[in-house]
Amino acid sequence: MEVLDYSKELSVIEGRPALREIDEIISKPLNTKPDKKYFIALLVTLSMVGIGAISLGLSFYYGTGLWGNNNPVGWGLPIVNFVFWVGIGHAGTLISAILFLLRQKWRNGIARFAEGMTIFAVMTAGIFPLIHVGRPWLAGYLFPYPNQHSIWVNFTSPLLWDVFAVSTYFTVSFIFWFVGLIPDFATLRDQTTNKIKKVIYSVTSLGWRHSNRHWQHYEMVYLILAGFATPLVLSVHTIVSFDFAVSIMPGWHTTIFPPYFVAGAVFSGFAMVQNVLIFIRKIFNYEHIITLDTLEKMNKVILFTSMLVGYAYGMEFFIAWYSGVQVEQFTFINRAFGPYSWAYWIMVSCNVLFPQLFWIKKIRRTIPFMFVIAVLVNVGMWFERFVITVTSLSRDYLPSSWAYYKPTLVDAGILIGSFGFFFTFILLFTKTMPVVSIAEVKAVAEGSQPSHGEH
Amino acid sequence: MSLPNEQIEYSRKDLSPKVRQIGLLLFALGLIIAVAAYLTEPIRASFMNLVLLMFLLSVGLGSLFFVALEYLAGAVWSTPYRRIIEIFAATLFVLPIVALPVYFNIHDLFHWTHLDGVSKDIALSSKSGYLNVPFFTVRIIAFFLVWILFYSLLTRNSRKQDAIKDQLLTKKNIKISAVFMPFFALTVTFSAIDWMMSLEPHWFSTIFGVYYFSGTVLAALSVATVAIILLNKNGYLVKGIISDHYYSLGALLFAFINFWAYIAFSQFLLIWYANLPEETFWFLSRWENGWMFFTIGLAFVHFLVPYFGLLSQPSKMNPNRLLFMSVWILVAHFYDLYWLIMPTFSKGEFVFGWMEIGFILLGFGILVLIFVVFSKNKNLVPVGDPKLKRGIDFRL
Repeated sequence: MEVLDYSKELSVIEGRPALREIDEIISKPLNTKPDKKYFIALLVTLSMVGIGAISLGLSFYYGTGLWGNNNPVGWGLPIVNFVFWVGIGHAGTLISAILFLLRQKWRNGIARFAEGMTIFAVMTAGIFPLIHVGRPWLAGYLFPYPNQHSIWVNFTSPLLWDVFAVSTYFTVSFIFWFVGLIPDFATLRDQTTNKIKKVIYSVTSLGWRHSNRHWQHYEMVYLILAGFATPLVLSVHTIVSFDFAVSIMPGWHTTIFPPYFVAGAVFSGFAMVQNVLIFIRKIFNYEHIITLDTLEKMNKVILFTSMLVGYAYGMEFFIAWYSGVQVEQFTFINRAFGPYSWAYWIMVSCNVLFPQLFWIKKIRRTIPFMFVIAVLVNVGMWFERFVITVTSLSRDYLPSSWAYYKPTLVDAGILIGSFGFFFTFILLFTKTMPVVSIAEVKAVAEGSQPSHGEH
Repeated sequence: MSLPNEQIEYSRKDLSPKVRQIGLLLFALGLIIAVAAYLTEPIRASFMNLVLLMFLLSVGLGSLFFVALEYLAGAVWSTPYRRIIEIFAATLFVLPIVALPVYFNIHDLFHWTHLDGVSKDIALSSKSGYLNVPFFTVRIIAFFLVWILFYSLLTRNSRKQDAIKDQLLTKKNIKISAVFMPFFALTVTFSAIDWMMSLEPHWFSTIFGVYYFSGTVLAALSVATVAIILLNKNGYLVKGIISDHYYSLGALLFAFINFWAYIAFSQFLLIWYANLPEETFWFLSRWENGWMFFTIGLAFVHFLVPYFGLLSQPSKMNPNRLLFMSVWILVAHFYDLYWLIMPTFSKGEFVFGWMEIGFILLGFGILVLIFVVFSKNKNLVPVGDPKLKRGIDFRL
């Protein structure tokens, strides 16, 4: 057996890049003009946004009759997409806050990108409740403030708690992301010769001078924000799970939902981060910063969360049988063998079976394999939300009102639009800000830590 | 590939006989009271016996989980005292003895063992494929064998490494730990369902296994923390375990206090909100007839006090404060198990008396004696572990 040397800490960065090299390689995408491929990619994502915009426009003009929603399936793809995108947004703060508190140094290369992704994913998710309120320009009423009309929100509804949870999460994630960017903006400010950029970076770096005192404050703020963000990571998807679990719908009302949703969110978020990072490290030559070891660790997290999700599926099934409640039992049999069994088995195979391949080291470390598995994970996680939302509603308590829900082209268009919206922001992000934290990578580069002699 | 841990300052010392005396005293006192309890009120005593069983299972299985977790995560900060946690994992060995009296009184504890009652009840007869005495027995024996298997594999390699200092053993243990984890998840869940959830055979909650898991981790971690602080103070451990290490232990305790509260609150909120009679009765029997104060107390004892007690940095770094909080959490776990189990016995009224205290003393006595017995002729520090030096040098 090949054995690592466990008595030494391995560097999370390959080679021994000089600090200056790190500056240069990370800021290079910002200093070079985008090439043709970039514009083609942008064109594709913007077209997807266009498809989404048209679908939404049609929906607003003609009404939601264009969607597949029917009676009894009042919640269709919009809520599925909302939960999916909020879930994608979970990896960012998990990586930046929880892995920071757990002192996992390998997070430093990927934290910035994951945080950025969190913000874009939450923005994408936010589209769906906005559509849902019907008059998006009145969405301000979702916040409970005293008003002339004496209109108040329903404080006992988890959908309202969602408003608070998601907006708090977005705010804190944004601050976290921005605080991390300050030293990097300062580095870019000192580097650039372009006058316009200089002004922009000077403003955004808030007068940062890399002084010892600045760093001390920075570290303190970062730690506090990490501690603050950690419960938020859990709270957001917990409350999303409450949207379902507080109701008395079979298949929705089950006590494991909160941790199960959080695990699923981390699962899909990690898969998405891994997917996009594979491209970024290749295109920008970050292979020695976002190393294969880092990707392998991400794959281990994906494997772990896959098993958590699998545990929840198993537990739900077992307790549905164990409870002896007929509707519960029916719901789960119906999921696995009813009209939506195709969706159920896509969910189980993509979320529980395929990720088990990550037990094999070779697959954990082979880019094409891990890419495909992570894509499947995201497919599976989207179908998980579909299965939960649709199967329970389409066959509820009253058999005479059962109906099959089929998404329409307009539904699909909105989903495509959401992907376009998300990836457009990702593309803009890669060319306007450092997608890897310069300062944090320097902190884990070999030779930058204080040593106790010996070396 | 072997690496001597040359700069390690550790020499094995035999445990002071005082520890054994304290253990014996607690054990004897607890045992006398337990026997007296069995003679006066056998059913109540068997329920308390079950509380004790679950408490010791928490410590034993939780400790084994921790050993595996350290290997899997590649953690170094806990390596200098991993041996202590390994020793407490040996608590698994006493489980059959503690379980026997419960098993013999199974008819007094578990309603589902009454076949005539089950056959009249549709809900119960529908789940009798799972809840029946033969299958129950097979499960508990199988689980026990799985735990002992993984205990032996992990600790044997760890101890072998003391002598031969081979890094390959670390690698082997990492693999064993990875295989152990799914087994751990299933056995801890179904142990919780079998021994505790099925006390109210009509009640069900999918989160129950996770709830008990959060308690096992807390129990194991707080037992380990108590032992580590006391042993380190008296110079039984390797030189160099300092406040940074204590901080990490305290931070993990703090994290799991929050995790427990999160799980407990989720379970409560969802059941309260949905308000379905097939679920709410479980909470109602922990609310009515004098149980209300005990239930509210759970939130204080198990969450608010340890939360604020461990929140600040000094409270995690100061060994005395951390010691106090660890003992507190250990007692809180007893409290929690009592809350989970005893309402089935005393639905009519809340009871707590000398019997209960006896079983708590017995539990602590067993833990001390386990440590005395299983630490004999053993290094209390994994001196051959390649991560030991890094663990000692660990700084925040």
